[in-house]
Amino acid sequence: MKLSPQRKFKNLLFKFLLTLASVSVLIPLILIFNFLLQKGSMALSLDFFLNEPKPVGELGGGMAHAIVGSLTMVGLSALISVPIGILCGVFLSEYRQGKIAAILKFTIDILTGIPSIVIGIFSYLIFVVTMKSFSAWAGAFALSIIILPIVTRTTEEILKLIPKHVREAGLALGLPKWKVILHIVLKGSKNSLITGVILAISRASGETAPLLFTAFGSMYFSDKLTEPMASLPVQIYNYAISPYDDWQRQAWAGAFTLILICLGLNISARLFFKRKELKKFFVRKS
Amino acid sequence: MSDVVLKVNDLKAWFDDFNAVKGIDLEYKRNTINAIIGPSGCGKSTYIRCLNRIHEEVAGAKISGEVLLEGKNIYAPDADPVEVRKHIGMVFQKPNPFPAMSIFDNVVIGPRLWGERNKKNLEEIAYKSLQKAALWDEVKDKLHQEGTSLSGGQQQRLCLARTLATNPPIILMDEPTSALDPIAAAKVEDLMMELKDEYTVIVVTHNMQQAARVADYTSFFVLGELIEHGLSSDIFTNPKNQKTEDYITGRFG
Repeated sequence: MKLSPQRKFKNLLFKFLLTLASVSVLIPLILIFNFLLQKGSMALSLDFFLNEPKPVGELGGGMAHAIVGSLTMVGLSALISVPIGILCGVFLSEYRQGKIAAILKFTIDILTGIPSIVIGIFSYLIFVVTMKSFSAWAGAFALSIIILPIVTRTTEEILKLIPKHVREAGLALGLPKWKVILHIVLKGSKNSLITGVILAISRASGETAPLLFTAFGSMYFSDKLTEPMASLPVQIYNYAISPYDDWQRQAWAGAFTLILICLGLNISARLFFKRKELKKFFVRKS
Repeated sequence: MSDVVLKVNDLKAWFDDFNAVKGIDLEYKRNTINAIIGPSGCGKSTYIRCLNRIHEEVAGAKISGEVLLEGKNIYAPDADPVEVRKHIGMVFQKPNPFPAMSIFDNVVIGPRLWGERNKKNLEEIAYKSLQKAALWDEVKDKLHQEGTSLSGGQQQRLCLARTLATNPPIILMDEPTSALDPIAAAKVEDLMMELKDEYTVIVVTHNMQQAARVADYTSFFVLGELIEHGLSSDIFTNPKNQKTEDYITGRFG
């Protein structure tokens, strides 16, 4: 049997189209990196990572306060939403028959689709208006609402990878259901769960809109959670639209730092990434 | 102690509206191997899953009747399924070691989560259970590797060791060798024979030679009903019921 020229041509055409699509995904990533490195590297220095901004007109200064602020608020939001999200995910995966589970699932789906700026306004009304001040708490709260549905859905999907007969084997040993969930199901998917959580956090660390009118931003280090706090995305936004060359350069450096942080989180997530192995194992077994 | 360790009275089981088990009465004697044979879909798996109250974990499951363990009904309103399963262990069709868990942890998870914290005792339990499951020599140097890294036959013996570690007087096996190659299956069969001295084994099997070889008693199920029960030697050489004869000679099923 020989391939007809027509088949050969079709084959080549589709291979070409697929390659083209793959390359067109890679190009923006490479361009962004290249761009940020070029523009940002000029402002990148030890000074940038260690100091807060200098007054306009004075050269130098940095974004240390924004880096710390971002880490603080993202950390806080993770502390709030990761435990809740994992518990919701466990509920959805292990008790999925009930009516409450159906409602929860629907809620989480809707929450995933809400634009982040709307979540920002919500947090503004709840925290900023009532407390009459922009605050780090308000920012962390907005971020935690963004993380929550991602963590919930990821947890649910990961736990569903553990087959039913593994849970039954646990029950058959005379273990109560909660011990089976905690010591067998959750423990067995620990690596994938860590990966999912890290990816959700890295998503939140790049959010600007929900922080604009909640944490607002600041030009100084702040150790009070009830006061405005700087964050990398907002600082980048403010600097980028400013008329000063030095600030614009710093905005590029800030953007570069933000990408590095996200990349760092992603890479550390991948180091935990055993999910593929887990999948392979269960595919082989069933 | 009476000779009968498990007595089943008029046991019926449903999946929603489907009546899978239609009123079974059976008795199991201490230290015997009991096979359940029958064509696919005859309710034998559902039946055996009722004996340790695992069937009720499925959505839409319903059960009626009595199962008396040493005279006590495991379906009594105040009976705790968790407590029941400590006395009636189960080995499943597919080998299912717990993922991301070492061989050692897999074996001792039952006793450990029941509250045994002493490391020496746990090591003792692991050693004994793996010995009984004829797996010790193959894994003694790699107890800290993941259980899932073993071969299928070894995994099934690991699951058996895991059940033995909880030391239940009765062990249920739901087609324990159907996912294994003949050599691995023969090993598990040999184990059943050895376990008889200490345990009562109830095994569902599709393999009639297996039932004839290992079981003292055999029950034949069709469509959720018990057609015939008796000594394996009688069932396989001199069946009383025409359906049984048809099935074991391969004319039906």
